[in-house]
Amino acid sequence: MIRLRAVFSKKDRAKYISHLDLNRCMLRTFRRSGLPIWYTEGFHSHPYFSFALALSLGYESDCEILDFNLNEDIPTNEVRDRLNAVMPYGMKIISVAEQKRKVTAITNAEYSFSLVSDNPDLLMNDIENLINQEQILIEKKTKKGVKTVDIKPDMKIISCKIAEKSVDMVMRLPAGTQTNYNPSLFFEALKNASDMSFETAKIRRTGIFCENNEIFS
Amino acid sequence: MLREKIEKHLLEIQKPSRYIGGEVGSVVKDKSKVDVRFAFCFPDTYDIGMSHLGMKILYSLTNERENYWCERCFAPSEDFENIMRENDIPLYALESLDPIKDFDFIGFTMQYELSYTNVLNMLDLAGIPIFARDRTEELTQIVVAGGPCVCNPEPLADFFDLFILGEGEEVNLELMDLYYEMKKQGASRKEFLRKACQIEGIYVPEFYKFHYKGDGTVERLEVTDDAPPTVRKRIIKDFDKVYYPDNFVVPFTEIVHDRVSVEVLRGCLRGCRFCQAGFIYRPLREKHAGTIVEQTKCLCENTGYDEVSLASLSTSDHSEIAPMLSELLIYTEDEKINLSLPSLRVDNCSEELLEKIKKMRKSGLTFAPEASTQRLRDVINKNVSEEEIMNTCRIAFGGGYSSVKLYFMMGLPTETDEDIIGIAELAQRIIDLFYTMENRPKGRGVQISISCATFVPKPFTPFQFEPQDTREMIEHKQKLLLDSVNKKRVKVSYHDANVSILEAVLAKGDRRLCDVVYTAWKKGCKFDSWGEYFHFDKWLEAFEECGIDPSFYANRRISYDEILPWGHLDYYVSHEFFVRENKNAHKAVTTPHCRLKCSGCGVNREIGGRCFD
Repeated sequence: MIRLRAVFSKKDRAKYISHLDLNRCMLRTFRRSGLPIWYTEGFHSHPYFSFALALSLGYESDCEILDFNLNEDIPTNEVRDRLNAVMPYGMKIISVAEQKRKVTAITNAEYSFSLVSDNPDLLMNDIENLINQEQILIEKKTKKGVKTVDIKPDMKIISCKIAEKSVDMVMRLPAGTQTNYNPSLFFEALKNASDMSFETAKIRRTGIFCENNEIFS
Repeated sequence: MLREKIEKHLLEIQKPSRYIGGEVGSVVKDKSKVDVRFAFCFPDTYDIGMSHLGMKILYSLTNERENYWCERCFAPSEDFENIMRENDIPLYALESLDPIKDFDFIGFTMQYELSYTNVLNMLDLAGIPIFARDRTEELTQIVVAGGPCVCNPEPLADFFDLFILGEGEEVNLELMDLYYEMKKQGASRKEFLRKACQIEGIYVPEFYKFHYKGDGTVERLEVTDDAPPTVRKRIIKDFDKVYYPDNFVVPFTEIVHDRVSVEVLRGCLRGCRFCQAGFIYRPLREKHAGTIVEQTKCLCENTGYDEVSLASLSTSDHSEIAPMLSELLIYTEDEKINLSLPSLRVDNCSEELLEKIKKMRKSGLTFAPEASTQRLRDVINKNVSEEEIMNTCRIAFGGGYSSVKLYFMMGLPTETDEDIIGIAELAQRIIDLFYTMENRPKGRGVQISISCATFVPKPFTPFQFEPQDTREMIEHKQKLLLDSVNKKRVKVSYHDANVSILEAVLAKGDRRLCDVVYTAWKKGCKFDSWGEYFHFDKWLEAFEECGIDPSFYANRRISYDEILPWGHLDYYVSHEFFVRENKNAHKAVTTPHCRLKCSGCGVNREIGGRCFD
């Protein structure tokens, strides 16, 4: 059994494929590629696919991680090309390589998005006020119920620029097996803190990182 | 751009991937290089419509032609429909995301009567005039329909420019070719329809006017514009060689039948007297085992599906079923593909066959005795004996199954309370059989599920003359069945009587019902086949307002010499045959299936010889 890891993008119409549907979609893609998929050996034998992080419906991504196993040692470029030949529209395998780190090594993810507004300058003011607060408290729904979290200490703004009709931001948020913050928490906080109406657009995951900002691979 | 408008709202609704296309296998063309555009519409949601095999066949077939483009279109769920209406998003096709009102053909497939209001709702959402008479004189936006329900298209006649009778694999392209030629010549809609009705299989309802007698029955049919007095359905002669797609559109979201289906045979040789499909799809034609295996492999490889199902009206009637399954199982087991086999019969489900099925199915077995007593099974010509039912159950229990699902009908012609109680008694005999068996599955009790549908008399069957039971009779029988069964071991499910009543009215209706369908839709009826959307009270209001008595259509016995609303449509099976079979039914005399003895239904005479070797 050969363990491999693919990095793939999910854009355009493919962003409407839900996480639940993605597993089935990948299985069919692999079957179309004719690659020798490894099946589990239990009573209900099935192929092994594992996505490092779930991606919210409607978000694009440049950096989704899929772990899978093959029965034969096939050059990774060939695996990539054979998959890309049969990928759904909007999805593309960027690279295939061996699995270097465990998925538990993931600590944070980077997102870019636009906050669309008729008056980006005023919205920018509100954003600055919000991110300069001591705390950014927001209610987060978890499996156990609703709890209030402070996203401020773990939120890292990479960039925040005024564009023609929007404020464009890049930020990093905790991700992985321990804590996962979705940018929607920030949107929620901004909605609470600002009188400005805005719409979110072009939300995209742009990177998945381990400690020390090392790109997860 | 329509796409931007759509995407703006997609995250507000359930399962958005249903509304944006982009699936593997969907065909996108450069519209500047396309001459004729066809919107293939299924009048129900994506999840249901995408499971329909006919659409897959005709979609691929049309798109094989470089300059024709067939796209898909479904009824949006209520959440998205509201958004579409609020934001002026017209109904659009999934490949181009262009509004279907700009298409040359808007084609619906009519699979069940309770989807009629959805057609009106979809036309309205598209911004296409609901009534054919209100559409432009220009040659564009031709609204057409095919599928089993159009064997009596009269309750839909006012909404369609034309109907396509029978199998579409050849006639659809002929129709599009004619359109393309006439469009180039600058012809009008009317000129096109006059030419189109000369193609075999094309029925243009506006050229046929009904006159009614005082008692409500048809007096005569007036044919205009040189249209043919009878319209005959189309048949594919060489079914083994007929076009079959080598790829399906593979949806992202889960659909009802989320698998490869390979059609193994078309038509049915059984002649069960209630079954419309058994007559309108005649004659029986098979694909060779080799063709089936080849098509299975090809589709599995191209779609990536790991499940395949053999589609037909009665798969175990295929003359090469055993060798075909052996060969298929070699492939599917090797490739870890799940093979499912719906539509098996109790009487020819051999031990060998069951042994093969056991390898592929984990769930229970489903059989359809349809009626409980031998007398009633003889009436409906379901040529299955109790011994065969018991024998199949014995094999099933011996093979490790402990649950059996049985389909029955109630309200069948000549049925009495004894026949209903007989359903419970038959279930009890199966339970008793289970406990007398030494080799029954250990540690589990037996479970029988009885699914009891209400009989709906349908056109082009020997029972087309029969009245349906009234609501009171249906409800009495449903209660009687519930009171008769062993509740610990038997689970009973049945349909809302009102649903079956409406089905009967629409199935056997005439053109005067168009106004009822329109009025019901205006009152908010849509998705009538979905329990939560079915509002029978609104339908009753619609009947009342239009001055139509539903019982005239559902509960009246039709005499043999009456002019039928579908009498000018020719599905190859003769009227005399239906009359003969109806008489046989009332005498409880059975008719053997076509391989045993030709019953002289008329098909073979018309296709010039024998139905099969």
